Amino acid sequence: MQNKDGPRAGGDLEAATSNPTPDFDDWAKFGDDDIMQQQTAIRAEEAEKTPFVGDKEPLSSLAAEYQSGSPILLEKIKVLGEKYAAIRRTRGDGNCFFRSFMFSYLEHILESQDQAEVDRAKSNVEQCRKTLQSLGYADFTFEDFFALFLEQLESVLQGNGTSISQEELLLRSRDQSISDYVVMFFRFVTSGEIRKRSEFFEPFIMGLTNATVEQFCKSSVEPMGEESDHVHITALSDALGVPIRVVYLDRSSCDSAGVSVNHHDFIPAVGGLPNASVMVVVRICGCL
Amino acid sequence: MRCDETTYFDFVCFSRKVLGKYPKAQATRRVYSRAVRMSTPARKRLMRDFKRLQQDPPAGISGAPQDNNIMLWNAVIFGPDDTPWDGGTFKLTLQFTEDYPNKPPTVRFVSRMFHPNIYADGSICLDILQNQWSPIYDVAAILTSIQSLLCDPNPNSPANSEAARMFSENKREYNRRVREIVEQSWTAD
Repeated sequence: MQNKDGPRAGGDLEAATSNPTPDFDDWAKFGDDDIMQQQTAIRAEEAEKTPFVGDKEPLSSLAAEYQSGSPILLEKIKVLGEKYAAIRRTRGDGNCFFRSFMFSYLEHILESQDQAEVDRAKSNVEQCRKTLQSLGYADFTFEDFFALFLEQLESVLQGNGTSISQEELLLRSRDQSISDYVVMFFRFVTSGEIRKRSEFFEPFIMGLTNATVEQFCKSSVEPMGEESDHVHITALSDALGVPIRVVYLDRSSCDSAGVSVNHHDFIPAVGGLPNASVMVVVRICGCL
Repeated sequence: MRCDETTYFDFVCFSRKVLGKYPKAQATRRVYSRAVRMSTPARKRLMRDFKRLQQDPPAGISGAPQDNNIMLWNAVIFGPDDTPWDGGTFKLTLQFTEDYPNKPPTVRFVSRMFHPNIYADGSICLDILQNQWSPIYDVAAILTSIQSLLCDPNPNSPANSEAARMFSENKREYNRRVREIVEQSWTAD
């Protein structure tokens, strides 16, 4: 699964210049409204390019993009190709990490038909519900999002009346009314976990944004479209008990003994899926 | 969902009591039952927002859906005590879409306002109504945030540049203009 966080940085710049931007002789006049309009235009442009979750593509299609770029990247894509058969792109709308995770996880359940994992996940979700309640969230503000996720989790297990196919899973992941609700469910779970263990997360949050835990959750976790960083990934992995591997496709090369691709594993603090079934998210660095 | 609908019907019955003598109320009732039958996620959620607002109303705010449309609400915010806004009763409308609660409603003051973050047409420059929106906010939370914005403007994103300038340069004159708006809010229709 390719996470498009990275190229977005470059892509944004391109979009920003190709958009009809009003001619500002005075930057002081460039207010919040203008920024929001520009942001909306960029998102609309991005939406035309990529669906929420793309079709499977061979890694060669990724390599083709960097044909004239850094040779290290091409080397690394080759290394990735030895381990991974295909990628899917996700839309760079700030929700790409959560959306990638949603698809990978549900697809994993669909393929493995692992009833025990579903039961385990459900009990973690119940725990997350209690966390939010104890933090003072009103039930009605989050229960629809929880219900919709649990429904998806049920439906990828075969043998009950509502089972779905791989094609249907892809359609649902592209259907905004389902996909956004699941993303929002993850945002609630992530925010609850960060607030519950605020002492643990506080120094990392300070390092990222210089904000308090409360401010961070309100401004960078709970609103849709806010990008994820290691704090979000750690919290989600811990809360759901699902390990996540992020593979970085950057230009770094440190040894002469051949190229390897950097990755970082997020292993939940307690229990969870065995390491063998780590969810993979590839992140392409913004510095390309 | 049953109890939400019951509450909604309670509200309908209450409205009937109040409006019963008007023939329009009969038509209103029919629209209500239709609204309840066509329960989309947005509508269901709005009924729960309404229930919470009735059961546990925050100080100084009130709101309810318009007679025949749960997607359009009227609200009143009372100016906070011991501030220049004290005594004001400011009317607003909240227009929801079927994307609620994934997207915020469009909130607009109907009463005339003089505030750094409120545009001439009554629309409000507030982060949680724009890019910082999250479904954790319900109608009560939206109205409470707007209420605290009254006394705690953000001069960095001015919607009314005159008010913003006065707020930072001439607080006395600013407060006088606010008192004028407060007085107008008593007489305005």
